Amino acid sequence: MKVSKHILLLLALLTAGAFSGCQKEKNIIYDVNDVNVNRPEGNKDYVKSLAEFISIAYTDLFGQNISQSALQTLSVPYSGFGDLKLIEDMIIKNFLNSPSAIVPSNTDMRANVDQFIMETYQKFFNRNPNEFELWHMKNLIEENADITPELVYYATMTSNEYRYY
Amino acid sequence: MKRRGFIKKAAAATAGAFSAPYILPSGRLFAATGTRVVDHVVFCLFAGGVRNLESVHKADGNLMPNTLLGNESISSDIAAGVTPLGQVGGQRLQEMGTLYKEFRFAQGSTGHFSGHSSVMTGVYNLADINIRQRPATPTIFEYYRKHTNPTANATNAWWVSNALGPYPALNYSSHPDYGALYGANYIQPASIISQAGYDSLGNPKTFTQNQHDLVGEMRGFFDNNFSSQTLAGDAGITNAISDNPAVQQFLLDSFQEAVAGQYTNPWGLGGMSGDMFNVFFAEKVIERFQPELLVVNMQDVDVCHTNFTSYANNLMRADYAMAHLWQTIQNTPGMANNTIMIALPEHGRNAQPNTVVDPYGRYALDHTNDEMSREIFCLVAGPSGKVVQNQLISQVQGESIDVVPTIAKILGFYDEISGMLTGQPLNAAVV
Repeated sequence: MKVSKHILLLLALLTAGAFSGCQKEKNIIYDVNDVNVNRPEGNKDYVKSLAEFISIAYTDLFGQNISQSALQTLSVPYSGFGDLKLIEDMIIKNFLNSPSAIVPSNTDMRANVDQFIMETYQKFFNRNPNEFELWHMKNLIEENADITPELVYYATMTSNEYRYY
Repeated sequence: MKRRGFIKKAAAATAGAFSAPYILPSGRLFAATGTRVVDHVVFCLFAGGVRNLESVHKADGNLMPNTLLGNESISSDIAAGVTPLGQVGGQRLQEMGTLYKEFRFAQGSTGHFSGHSSVMTGVYNLADINIRQRPATPTIFEYYRKHTNPTANATNAWWVSNALGPYPALNYSSHPDYGALYGANYIQPASIISQAGYDSLGNPKTFTQNQHDLVGEMRGFFDNNFSSQTLAGDAGITNAISDNPAVQQFLLDSFQEAVAGQYTNPWGLGGMSGDMFNVFFAEKVIERFQPELLVVNMQDVDVCHTNFTSYANNLMRADYAMAHLWQTIQNTPGMANNTIMIALPEHGRNAQPNTVVDPYGRYALDHTNDEMSREIFCLVAGPSGKVVQNQLISQVQGESIDVVPTIAKILGFYDEISGMLTGQPLNAAVV
């Protein structure tokens, strides 16, 4: 008899607790605007076409538009070989070997590595580097005397991101 | 669990593990590779549209004296327009293998690309062909690279084409399970080994090994950050990073040799036709990389649309080039006596001529799906004990779509792809 009294009391308490726990959800507004979160490397969904890759690379390195005849010449090996990345690699190395290629000097790069990295990302990737990218590249450049601006340009222009827009 | 039950289940699991296909870390599923007949296949598309009448039936004399037995003289009316080039080796190719005289390109349009595509995929194209699109079914290169264990590098598979247009698309298909990852190195030597090619690629900036390593490190960092947006196969086939320097050096060496005049008359014949140059460059690939699978084509005989006698002359040149290719294979360590060469035209030509007459009074020939344009030959040449020697099959036997299964059998992966193919290996030729 004593036991059943205790059970009844317990049930009553649980029921009361259950009802008291049900509260209407408050609609709280924090007055913060919606923010679209973008990838740090930007949304680049399209692969550059043959003509786009060559003409953009040319403009990036020589500071002027490519002529129609030069574009025609450069398109020939591009269409004659199946491994496009390999051909792009060779085209970029040929561009870099030209005395007309506009590449900062090693002294300028090392005088302000942060600025060089920012400008390189803007020039080739059309975006700013994120903090980690800036830190990593700066470290790499400062720790390796063998890294020249040409080398950074070469690595950037033969990266996957450079093939996209 | 009872002891007997445990043992039973354990035994079943062990057996299953051995009989089930392996799953590689890459996620690739495949059964163990089978036994090979030899380690290399060179497939020579003796293309452009060759009628059996002028080739194996020798209606105008033996226009393929390096391939076919016999000394039938060239028809007197065209003889002045046909230049004999002599013998490359002591034996005719026919003696070193099996010649199917009545092979067939049985279905599909008798067009050059349709013929190339059918023979390189093992599937006839019965629908309209969109020459801007890759084949929907895998090419022999993809079958080979995917089903060879360990997976073959791209430097082991080459497609050396004499033309651009739709032909670059034959190095891999759009099949979702295959594609660029398993494609072949495509090269069209006539365009890339040129002044334009040299101007674009021939004078690169050079870097030290340490600088190359640093570029690799930086590029790896960039690519890693961009990996979520990179599409597979976006740059066509890709050579392994470790193979890149060798492929680039091969191209640079080719430029240097061309600039030095070594490509002008390398066979001492007074010049090179387009077909000869294409085969010559395929030989360069063979000498440098000893690929396990190389496909090379010729198409100069297609001049037959307007000039029959030039067709006959180019047939003789193509015969010479093919024999030279065979000779190079036999002189290349690793490939000598370890290579099977398969050769066939992609289709024939019409029985009835068109209205164009050449300077020797012969009517020209097109190829528009008549019965004769489906009649071709097929030669399978290889080492004794691997290929049936000096065998002539004169009855109608074999089709274009049998080449892919035959290559698969030779290179040991036929069992893995047989379900995807309707053709059969040419068992009468391959031991």
